[in-house]
Amino acid sequence: MADSYDYDAIVVGSGMSGGWAAKELTQAGLRTLVLEAGRPIDPLTDYVEHVQPWQMHFRGFGDRKAMERDQPIQSRCYACDEVGHKFFVKDKENPYTTPADAPFNWLRGRQVGGRSIMWGRQVYRWSDLDFEANLKDGHGTDWPIRYRDIAPWYAHVERFIGVSGAREGLSQLPDGEFLKPMQMTAVEAAARPRILKAFGGERVMTIGRVAILTDNHNGRLACHYCGPCEKGCITNSYFSSIAATLPAARATGNLTLRPHSVVAEILYDPKKGRASGVRVIDALTRHETVFTSRIVFCCASTIESVRLLLNSKSATFPDGLANSSGTLGKYVMDHNFGSGAGGSYTGLLDKRTIGNRPNGVYIARFRNVKTQHPDFLRGYGFQGGADRQGWGRGQWMPGYGAAFKQSLIDELGEWGFWGTGFGESLPRESNRVTLDPDVKDAWGIPAARIEVRWSDNERAMEKDMAITMAEMLDAAGFKNVRPNDGMNPPGHCIHEMGGARMSRTPKDGVLNGWNQAWDVKNLFVTDGSCMASTACQNPSITYMALTARAASHAVSAMKKNEL
Amino acid sequence: MPFERLVLISWARSGDERFHVDGGAFWRQHEGASSPKSIMERRDLLRALASAAALSLLPSERAMAAWSRVAAGLSPTNGLSDTQMALVRAIADTIIPRTETPSATDVGVQQFVNVIVSEYAADEERTAFLTGLDAIDARAQSESNTPFAGLAPDARGKMIGALETGPRGAQPARTYWRLKGLVVHGYFTSEPVMKDVLKTVVMPGRFEGAAPVQIKKKPSQVRVPPSEEAMLHG
Repeated sequence: MADSYDYDAIVVGSGMSGGWAAKELTQAGLRTLVLEAGRPIDPLTDYVEHVQPWQMHFRGFGDRKAMERDQPIQSRCYACDEVGHKFFVKDKENPYTTPADAPFNWLRGRQVGGRSIMWGRQVYRWSDLDFEANLKDGHGTDWPIRYRDIAPWYAHVERFIGVSGAREGLSQLPDGEFLKPMQMTAVEAAARPRILKAFGGERVMTIGRVAILTDNHNGRLACHYCGPCEKGCITNSYFSSIAATLPAARATGNLTLRPHSVVAEILYDPKKGRASGVRVIDALTRHETVFTSRIVFCCASTIESVRLLLNSKSATFPDGLANSSGTLGKYVMDHNFGSGAGGSYTGLLDKRTIGNRPNGVYIARFRNVKTQHPDFLRGYGFQGGADRQGWGRGQWMPGYGAAFKQSLIDELGEWGFWGTGFGESLPRESNRVTLDPDVKDAWGIPAARIEVRWSDNERAMEKDMAITMAEMLDAAGFKNVRPNDGMNPPGHCIHEMGGARMSRTPKDGVLNGWNQAWDVKNLFVTDGSCMASTACQNPSITYMALTARAASHAVSAMKKNEL
Repeated sequence: MPFERLVLISWARSGDERFHVDGGAFWRQHEGASSPKSIMERRDLLRALASAAALSLLPSERAMAAWSRVAAGLSPTNGLSDTQMALVRAIADTIIPRTETPSATDVGVQQFVNVIVSEYAADEERTAFLTGLDAIDARAQSESNTPFAGLAPDARGKMIGALETGPRGAQPARTYWRLKGLVVHGYFTSEPVMKDVLKTVVMPGRFEGAAPVQIKKKPSQVRVPPSEEAMLHG
């Protein structure tokens, strides 16, 4: 090839997906530039998981006034707290708009590592129940892949990142290559067989499958159970791109990582019909630079990638790059979550937990697996856990004086359980991301306008979640069972997906079965925007597997001189 | 999602929403875990602990600076008055008195309350809270002809018992419960209590889901009768 390029590959984004693209591409020998909009992160000075409340001015409540001023949206996330807020964007610098009647919580991290620093770490394989769902009920477009296409890549990812979990042999939740599972708490272990028995074996509670090491693995240390992974991990015990994929990429000598690099546009060369590179605005100096490459991997996160493609307009693609189908920005989804139930358990008072398990239990999907529920399509899983109340119960428990004090020091309260449903929302064309005609971010780039609403299907599912969780707790012997069918606004689950979906034909989506843009062969989009449906499982491992698979395809296509 | 956090926040929400957040796994008390298990090699653990110690310097210094500001009387421009401070101290030490372990005011809970009132609360929340405090003192004044801080220990206990018995939403009980939440939170998140009383292990090195409870007591909804309270103080 006569042309000279700055790099073989450019990866936009350094988080969950970008880290994997960087690792796979550099290990295949490609000189790779990773562009990250945010700042670099140094675990030694930035991670705050061991900061104790007495070291915080507000003892963990957070600087509410500063948060209301600077992070009114981000602080809706549990992890955006007194010390963790640093891993979330400043809302004023990063605006987005929504219709007044369609609130959307867009919770974001811009830094090297992206949201892989604060993610929930739960990893569940999808099954063909998920990949065939669109085809079977007609909502959304058929996935161009099936479980057999992604299964080896799930294994590839699991082997590298380290996933602890228990094998269950469930068709709807395939087992992976697991490190030893974390322990269930006494009450979880007692509840599991009772729930199995009460519901004919259909409702399976398993220990959370989590990207946290229960044994030393690939040079990273086993978990020390301090608890708040979302604040970082000095022992690299949970998977993040900083802990694992970016160091692997760096070790090849082929990685150039450029923080403070806001990608404003993917450039398109109409003569070659290819992406030629990217236009970058330096976040600090506003200086603009163009970098060229043979291939571009867009891994900026679901809505950022859609926004970037929409902002990459040309004569060939006046409505956004690789948008000949007109589907770019459409079919945006999130998991509907928030409903569930809680209860207390009066027994097992001779047992307690020791250490802070950064994980919970998972109840695999049981709705619409074998039979069809009359009220809704698709299904949901529950995440939750049981532990005993600590001194915190003293805040609302009656009592005072020496005995009250001593009871909070010496004793634990009852066991409590809370389970929350994570539901599969339907792909709908009207749920979409466009560009706001007026609002721009701090770097002058048009902001996203997000319009996503729940439908009757999600509402019916939420109702069912509260009922089924409550009946499971009841069957397991819990008291004071409290169903809750409160629904969070879209976005709040931070599992936003879709907008540049994969499809079987160029007219139905943006990407083919290799995450490759139908219209622009050397452009790959491998973050959550590629998703054609949401399943009900946490999506990150699927992004990672798809990214590794796409990178492998890109490398072999380059070797065959197809790119 | 961090499940323990979710559980604890959910529990917290059964109480008063904003002021009763437990904070979850981050500062839950631990027991035992005196020696790290073989899960982690000792060398690795030491290295990690050294990093953790280095890490903790920054926020610690910041917190110390903030606290010295508070201690110097510089920060709370709209916090508790001297009278209100005396009331908060008296209530705090009635809820958590000095025993073989420190009392609430021994570990500076009143300063934490003042930080929340002056720097965290919204204007209307602060006004409601301070008005509620004044109402508690007014009640003591009308019933016993002295501010709450002037009451004998058993009379303090009697009044708190009355506040805890009534509906929690009505003033001044609402203010009392908010204060109680802050007192308990402030006490158990203080450095002396976390380190010396709870013996919090930041890096337990293991997780056990069904460890035996060492001290076998029935979890109680403790209500100490005023006489016993007075005796304990005596």
